[in-house]
Amino acid sequence: MSEEILTFENVKKYFVTPQGVVRAIDGISFSVKKGETFGLIGESGSGKSTLAYTVSGIYRPTEGKIVFNKQDISGKYSKRSKFLKKEIRIVFQDPGSSLNPRRNIKQIIELPLMVHHISKNKDQNRKVENLLEIVGLPIDYLYKHPRELGGGEKQMVAIARALASNPSLIILDEPTSALDVSIQAKIINILIKLQKKYNLTYLFITHDLSLMRNVASRVAIMYLGKICEVATAFEFFKNPIHPYTQMLLSSIPVISYEEEVLKPQKIISVGEIPSPVNIPPGCSFHFRCPKKMDICSQEDPVMVEICKGHTVRCHLYAK
Amino acid sequence: MMPLLEIKNLHVQFRVFEGELKVLNGVDIVISEGEKIGLVGETGCGKTTTMKSVLQVLPTPIARISTGEIIYKGRDILKMRPNEIQNLRKGEITAIFQDSLAALNPVFTIGQQLCDVVKYSSRDGDRNYLSKKEIISRSIAVLKETGMPDPERILKNYPIQLSGGMRQRVCISEAISIAAKLLIADEPTTSLDVTIQDQVLRLLIRLVEKKNMSIILITHSLGIVRELTNRVYVMYAGNIVETVRTKELFANPLHPYTRGLINAIPRLTGEGISKGIEGRIPNYLNPPAGCRFYPRCEYRMTVCLEKPPPLFTTGDNHGIACFLYKE
Amino acid sequence: MSKKKSFIATLSIGRYNLSRAWYKFSRNPLSVFGLIIFFLIIFVAVFAPYITPYPEHAGAYTNFREASKPPSLTYFFGTDSIGRDIFTRVIFGYRFSLILAVVVLSLSIPPGIILGLIAGYYQYTWIEVTIMRITDIFIAVPPLVLALAIAAMLSPNLFNQMMAISFVWWTWYCRLVYTMTISLCHEDFVYEAKLIGASNTHILLREILPNCVAPILTKMTLDMGLVIIVGASLSFIGLGVQPPKSDLGTMIANGARGLPTEWWAAVFPAIAITLIILAFNLVGDGLQDVFAVEEV
Repeated sequence: MSEEILTFENVKKYFVTPQGVVRAIDGISFSVKKGETFGLIGESGSGKSTLAYTVSGIYRPTEGKIVFNKQDISGKYSKRSKFLKKEIRIVFQDPGSSLNPRRNIKQIIELPLMVHHISKNKDQNRKVENLLEIVGLPIDYLYKHPRELGGGEKQMVAIARALASNPSLIILDEPTSALDVSIQAKIINILIKLQKKYNLTYLFITHDLSLMRNVASRVAIMYLGKICEVATAFEFFKNPIHPYTQMLLSSIPVISYEEEVLKPQKIISVGEIPSPVNIPPGCSFHFRCPKKMDICSQEDPVMVEICKGHTVRCHLYAK
Repeated sequence: MMPLLEIKNLHVQFRVFEGELKVLNGVDIVISEGEKIGLVGETGCGKTTTMKSVLQVLPTPIARISTGEIIYKGRDILKMRPNEIQNLRKGEITAIFQDSLAALNPVFTIGQQLCDVVKYSSRDGDRNYLSKKEIISRSIAVLKETGMPDPERILKNYPIQLSGGMRQRVCISEAISIAAKLLIADEPTTSLDVTIQDQVLRLLIRLVEKKNMSIILITHSLGIVRELTNRVYVMYAGNIVETVRTKELFANPLHPYTRGLINAIPRLTGEGISKGIEGRIPNYLNPPAGCRFYPRCEYRMTVCLEKPPPLFTTGDNHGIACFLYKE
Repeated sequence: MSKKKSFIATLSIGRYNLSRAWYKFSRNPLSVFGLIIFFLIIFVAVFAPYITPYPEHAGAYTNFREASKPPSLTYFFGTDSIGRDIFTRVIFGYRFSLILAVVVLSLSIPPGIILGLIAGYYQYTWIEVTIMRITDIFIAVPPLVLALAIAAMLSPNLFNQMMAISFVWWTWYCRLVYTMTISLCHEDFVYEAKLIGASNTHILLREILPNCVAPILTKMTLDMGLVIIVGASLSFIGLGVQPPKSDLGTMIANGARGLPTEWWAAVFPAIAITLIILAFNLVGDGLQDVFAVEEV
């Protein structure tokens, strides 16, 4: 039984805007085990990117506690130890903006090495070349600029940069959403290989359910800042319980009959996703829920465990 | 039956600092009335360039159509005068694009933009425009058709106030208010969430069928193509590599690229991720003289280097540009 | 890769970028025209003593027999009211204009950039508020008026003229870099640098500043013309270079007295100023084309 490397305890992140308070994350609790790939699914407005930014330290939680390797990391980022800055790394969604267009690949990858004095000056070049090899990029890319690279290659540079500091946790915020499917396959394969080799833990965020099925060991689905359902990947896709999960799964386009059969019965999604500024009272999903009951518009449900490892937050299953 | 649109042997080049990018290398596409065509390919394969050529909105000093014909209802668009092309855009061919925020002018209300479209497309030659009341009621009617709640209020909103799905619905309204025969949809739902994407696509197809329009759905998602189209064209590096009825493509993909593409898609059944396709798309400055997929193809042969494969036809009207299938 | 290899790689990339920049620049013939005029003016200004017909006329020289002669083959632009060749004085006048432009911009741009970077980076703190409110105060007053006020307080000469204009000019660069820094601070690569623990200096100078270079360069080129006009305006009312030296502004002022009959003394200096400003503007336009992101 591997230990938990990352735990969220009722984490909340609110933003105050002129339109009102945006409750981007509204009480999230879950934990990630060392060495696993924990998947986070959500559409726009669900708060998944905010979660990624909060763990990595760009945002600070408004309330709640985040624990990494038994250390509380919910404080100010500047107070985090330098060691932690090496340990938790993030790969952003848009490879175009995560690499500085005015720096070349060598400078981009060696920044973590320089900041943390990981290698001596003369070894630095070799370490960078080594990293390029690990992700499968040719060495003569060292002096190229990001604009000369394709989207997939840029993302591989971002991964190499994340690896440079020998982290234990990597947050992958939609790493392949902006890429074509054939390149996605290459990158996912590299990520899986690296995970085995360096015993990495991944927090994998995406909205692509088919992809999630094949990379994650456990999955959580978010809607408007709250988690609706958590289960192992197998259980999640075989037996989705929450109405939102079912709606999502039934809407995805698939390419084979076998997959069609696996999808839950078609639930026509109606209505728009409400904005996180105007979260309705009660269960945030009740406007769009086909199985809505009276209590849903009044009270917010709590997480209950249906069977081992499978928890859901819905009045249909409240004890 | 004469086809509605026929693109024949289209070659398009772009002149840049480093030389000439030979983007389109002989594209052939045929659409008949009422057909729903999918044009599938990855980033940079030339799908948008092809469509921009049909709509004649290529950046002309840089882009150049060197050969080819685009025949719409029997007449070659490339030989038309500008005002004839303008007539085409007003009443025959219409388009919706991926970024709905960019497609709508941010400083005008939806009402102003939609009414403009209705007004200019309903004008008959030089005769008078419709009355203002009629324009507004037509705009509201067309918004209702796309399932917009509360159309009167939407007319007063600005594009930034609407969600992505609603904006795309506005763009669809603009497109169908022109009684066009052909709709070109360039990745209309790529930037939308899955549940909204589902809604918008179904709406699009429903409207297209109702008005007996033909649609070219450009996308890189094979899943969407499978659900919504009758025939597919698979494009790679400026060439059509495979075309066949949609069901047949998934049952029996022939071209190595199509096969690689279909294999690379993650499955809900959880079989793991395939290895994808090695290599990257060719450099358009100096593309391979023969088949452009040659460097990445598992089945390559010497003949593939020498000349580009023409589109062979097998069995069930299954076009395939690959020497493996030469009769 | 050895240091030598990396040096060669950087050089060849630099050369490639330069030729690509030239390609984009030269697509507009006007920009090339502007560039030619630009180099021509610099050339004549630098070699003024050797190529002008009457270099001694640039300073104290009087020859009342040749005073107020119209343009001819001996005196291309005619002579002024005390007999000095206007053509020579115009070329020497260019020297003052160019020195003014270079010095003012060298003095005002670096502080402007640094203050803009700091103000943008420390957004929502007192640092930003202080810097930007001071900048606002300066920007609210038209540069010419402010420079005038300052120059009037000091004794009129070239040095003080440059100081006065520099004093007001930094604010535009501060604001330009400030707005760029604010938007760049939210780019993923800046987050990344912060997360990894890079120092603030590194982030400001190595991550953010290089992305501001394009608009700074363009503005700088256009500003050279603007600074020259402001300088000429100050000289026109007597607050700049003092006789017997004179720059283009004073020449116009002196020559204006002779209008409309002795038109050459005012018109040629005016054309000269127009020409140099036109050259800078055309080059600035061309630079905008070079930096514009191309989409294919």
